[in-house]
Amino acid sequence: MVSSKKTEKIAFFLLFLATLLIVVPVGLIVVIIIKKGIGAISWQFLSDIPRQGMRAGGILPAIVGTIYLVLGALIFALPIGLLAAIYLSEYAKDNYLTRIIKLAIVNLAGVPSVVYGLFGLAIFVVFFKFGTSILSGSLTLGIMILPVIITTSREALESVPYSFREASLSLGASKWQTIRHIVLPNAIPGILTGAILGIGRAAGETAPILFTVAAFYLPQMPKSIFDQAMALPYHLYVISTQVPNVDEKIRYGTALVLLFLVLFMNLIAIIIRYQFRKQKKW
Amino acid sequence: MKKLHTISTILLLIFAVSVFAGSGKNFVQIKGSDTMVNLGQAWAEKYMELNPTDFISVTGGGSGTGLSALISATCDIAMSSRNIKPKEIELAGKKGIKPFEIKVALDGLAVVVNPKNPVSKLTLGQLADIFTGKTTNWKQLGGQDGKIVILSREVNSGTHVYFKEHVLRKNDPASTAEFAPSALMLSSSQAIADEVAGNPDAIGYYGMGYISSKQKAILVAKDPNSEFIAPKIDNVISGKYPISRPLLLYTNGEPAGLVKKIVDFALSKEGQDIVLKTDFVPVVK
Repeated sequence: MVSSKKTEKIAFFLLFLATLLIVVPVGLIVVIIIKKGIGAISWQFLSDIPRQGMRAGGILPAIVGTIYLVLGALIFALPIGLLAAIYLSEYAKDNYLTRIIKLAIVNLAGVPSVVYGLFGLAIFVVFFKFGTSILSGSLTLGIMILPVIITTSREALESVPYSFREASLSLGASKWQTIRHIVLPNAIPGILTGAILGIGRAAGETAPILFTVAAFYLPQMPKSIFDQAMALPYHLYVISTQVPNVDEKIRYGTALVLLFLVLFMNLIAIIIRYQFRKQKKW
Repeated sequence: MKKLHTISTILLLIFAVSVFAGSGKNFVQIKGSDTMVNLGQAWAEKYMELNPTDFISVTGGGSGTGLSALISATCDIAMSSRNIKPKEIELAGKKGIKPFEIKVALDGLAVVVNPKNPVSKLTLGQLADIFTGKTTNWKQLGGQDGKIVILSREVNSGTHVYFKEHVLRKNDPASTAEFAPSALMLSSSQAIADEVAGNPDAIGYYGMGYISSKQKAILVAKDPNSEFIAPKIDNVISGKYPISRPLLLYTNGEPAGLVKKIVDFALSKEGQDIVLKTDFVPVVK
């Protein structure tokens, strides 16, 4: 007969092991990439254009391209996603149409990224004639991260206690005033979490930008949103598979820069979120 | 909320500036063949070094991608390692595009063995049998007793694919012939050259630029009744050497303006030197 205390200990240990299993790969990825890539990092690597058949020089155009794409995707997806989330959590009645919309959002989140790429190619590049451009790529990435932003924003809005709304309404505020001044400010940390998740996905995906924006080689800073651009994930793919004899250091260095770019953008969002959370009084 | 306003305003400003900075039209897009993408990149890099005010973007995706981009007017120059199909010409005609073909390089592959190996000529059929693993001993080909060591480029190499399609599969799209499982996959042509130089039983293949006195290039014939041809630039140019193909650029109509400047550069002495450096055969001497 095993005592309940012992059972509990065994269960806790198993749960702890499962959690540890999540940490190990993350740690390994970061350690290996840093170890193999740190040697490539220099000021020239971060500030120069690729040279000698992309086997030397830097990766600045790819860094800039990725930043543009992520900002473009956010500018497109954050307002639309937020407005949709406000509608769904504050206004929509629980009827058939709303359920269909919610189902569509969940399904959109499950679409493979290469399908978004082909969709972007058909709609933005060919049909709207934006060409292979930053605009097409940003819109494609924007649609891809839309469900993440809607879902997290909705959860954030719904987690604001209902008593806040009741208090505001009882003081004579209109529904919109309540949303604008009471619900939204209290939901911002959660909304930013959605934006963070979106940034990470938009910066790292290769397939959606493959057909819509990415250039194999374009050592020039983009001048307009109708230009093509290099992007870090695609550049990493190219120097790992298509350009012969690229130093391993450069490949891992590029991966390291991509990793840190995403972490850095996340950090900014986390700091903003922290500032808002500090003001929270409940 | 105020902070969020400030941040979003800054983000919008950054984006707006980039939108309205405007793009000059000293910009050419080259797209197509993955085999040629490194060649195109090398041309673009050198060309921009010489003409810093012009800009070229190079994108891969395959010959078909490049040609369809030319037809839909989303690129200025298409790179292709095959000739344009009649269907594509017809499609282009409907959209008012006149594809203009320029041969810029040749892709010739040499089969090499160690100089000590007495075997010096093989037919395409014999090569296919060697590389698929049907022939396993040099004795079967009139050489000394020794197990054949097959050297190949790794799977993501265009050279690997080309050799597989044109030698192992004999240009038959329905064939599923593969390299023998015993084949050693090396990561560069130089690695194959070094291995062949040191191993009397090895056989490998690579772009003709890598042949040196440390390896012996095999004379190749289409079939037992044809002439055995050496992998030399002249034979590739005349089309006699059986393992070669032209590398092409396609433009809309005869090249003009900046496109002409770039095509002219590709065909210039400097451009053709780059062809040689990227392991292809120059068309202009």
